[in-house]
Amino acid sequence: MTEGRLTRRALIAGAGTTALAAPALAKLGGGMIDLALPGGPSLRPTTPDFPGKREMIVQRIRPPLLEAPMEAFREGVITPNDRHFVRWNWAMPTEVKAGEHRVAVGGAVKKAVSLTLDEIAAAGEHVSIVAVNQCAGNGRGLSTPRVTGTQWGNGAMACAKWTGVRLRDVLAKAGGISPRAKRVRFAGLDVPLTDGAPQFIKSLPTQMAQSNDVLVAWAMNDEPLSILHGFPLRIVVPGWFSTYWVKMLSTIEVLEHEDESHYMADTYRWPKVPVTPESKDFPTAPITAMPPRSFITSHADGDTVTKGTPLTLEGLAFGGDKGLAKVELVGDGWSVPCELGPDEHGPYAFRRWSVTLPNVSGNLTGIGAKSTNANGLSQPDALVWNPSGYARNVIERITLVAQ
Amino acid sequence: MRAALLLPLTLLIAACDRAPTVNFQDASITPPDDPNELPDGPGRDVVLENCTACHSPSTMLQQPKVSREKWESIIGKMRKLYKAPVDDAAAAQVVDYMVAIQSDVSHEAPR
Ligand code: HEC
Repeated sequence: MTEGRLTRRALIAGAGTTALAAPALAKLGGGMIDLALPGGPSLRPTTPDFPGKREMIVQRIRPPLLEAPMEAFREGVITPNDRHFVRWNWAMPTEVKAGEHRVAVGGAVKKAVSLTLDEIAAAGEHVSIVAVNQCAGNGRGLSTPRVTGTQWGNGAMACAKWTGVRLRDVLAKAGGISPRAKRVRFAGLDVPLTDGAPQFIKSLPTQMAQSNDVLVAWAMNDEPLSILHGFPLRIVVPGWFSTYWVKMLSTIEVLEHEDESHYMADTYRWPKVPVTPESKDFPTAPITAMPPRSFITSHADGDTVTKGTPLTLEGLAFGGDKGLAKVELVGDGWSVPCELGPDEHGPYAFRRWSVTLPNVSGNLTGIGAKSTNANGLSQPDALVWNPSGYARNVIERITLVAQ
Repeated sequence: MRAALLLPLTLLIAACDRAPTVNFQDASITPPDDPNELPDGPGRDVVLENCTACHSPSTMLQQPKVSREKWESIIGKMRKLYKAPVDDAAAAQVVDYMVAIQSDVSHEAPR
């Protein structure tokens, strides 16, 4: 299932073979899109060539990084699977045999077990939760000043119905966890190509891991997870960034100590104090819960609107780890409340909003939607800049030209 | 006779009590080929050789313009953290290449 580690020779051989082929980018069989990233490079190819996907923005083919164009968010609150963003840190296996797959549950548990998929599916009540899955770096490419990393626009987010069993029911199959347990860590089948490089493993605090809403899921919008989305199983942590939603789940390990592994201790962290690009040696904390966000989806920056007529604006919002309380349309020194669409799918889902301005009297400069969640947390007016571009939730503004 | 008829029924009820079974099928994918494209320039082959085993060149090409020092530190991270087998001479050439293509705005145009 895994390709095994590569030696220097194999790494170079691999690169050499692909280099010889080197066809042009146009071969991808799609178009180009401009993500309007300040200072560029801003153009990205799009392709319908990934199995199970419609036209997606290609940030990277290997390992796949696919972003949804913003038009995917114009309607509805469930993102179709063929428009759900894709993000892998290391290459994933391209084939997984269901009958051979096992999930090892070990560490500080009563009795370590190795579970088949059927055993996982029988571990407890089947639960479905609709939740937003969003990359911690969504919108990183829009940071000013710019920062390095995957240069996403805002399309590394999606909302889906996830079905599986509760993680705590799977832990119970190992006879329960130690009273001294601190964290529950997950690993998938995606492993580094090089010896000694960090595997993409992530952990949750024990209490979070045992909550009602954390799932070991096998279905997304009533379809089996595809390889790109982590077949056969992935962790689902509603309200938290997708870095914790480990795909192709193969190991669950209960820790009695803090997690010192790379992707917890060194990265996917952000400053505990305000920082500037010059700041050094500041304390950091892991990125966890998502803050609220909202987007105008009915209009794009620079669109024209008709002077002297009413104007209806529509969009999408989510509260993060709490439900939405309100969405406002804000401009320079003014704000109007928006009407929220029905709460169809609970606190972790997308919701629609709309607002009608009675009369367009001139250009609408720098307008944006501002959401507030049930914790009272609102989107900030100015970007909370951080060196890795995590957790962007500044009000996204556009200008509409009146004609 | 009666007992034999009853037995399958009780089994059925027991099965309904439990969660419905999930039908797991094998899965596979053939991703599209990677064009592995890099603009021409001194050091291009060194970059192809040293920097495209773990990820597509777009990983490098899509970065915002950063300083030479930043490229040195990124390549240092590839070697130290991700164990990219890149020697000092190659690393220096990769830095030169990345700095050069980032100062050439034409690489932004669709190719
Ligand atoms: C042994 C594997 C490996 C090799 C070889 C490698 N990289 Fe990387 N590189 C990675 C991984 C892993 C990431 C993080 C990927 C992710 O976040 O999806 C990365 C990310 C990057 C990024 C994104 C910015 C960042 O800091 O994450 C850049 C730029 C980059 N690599 C450049 C290079 C260059 C230039 C070379 C050649 C000197 C190179 N890489 C060789 C593994 C490798």
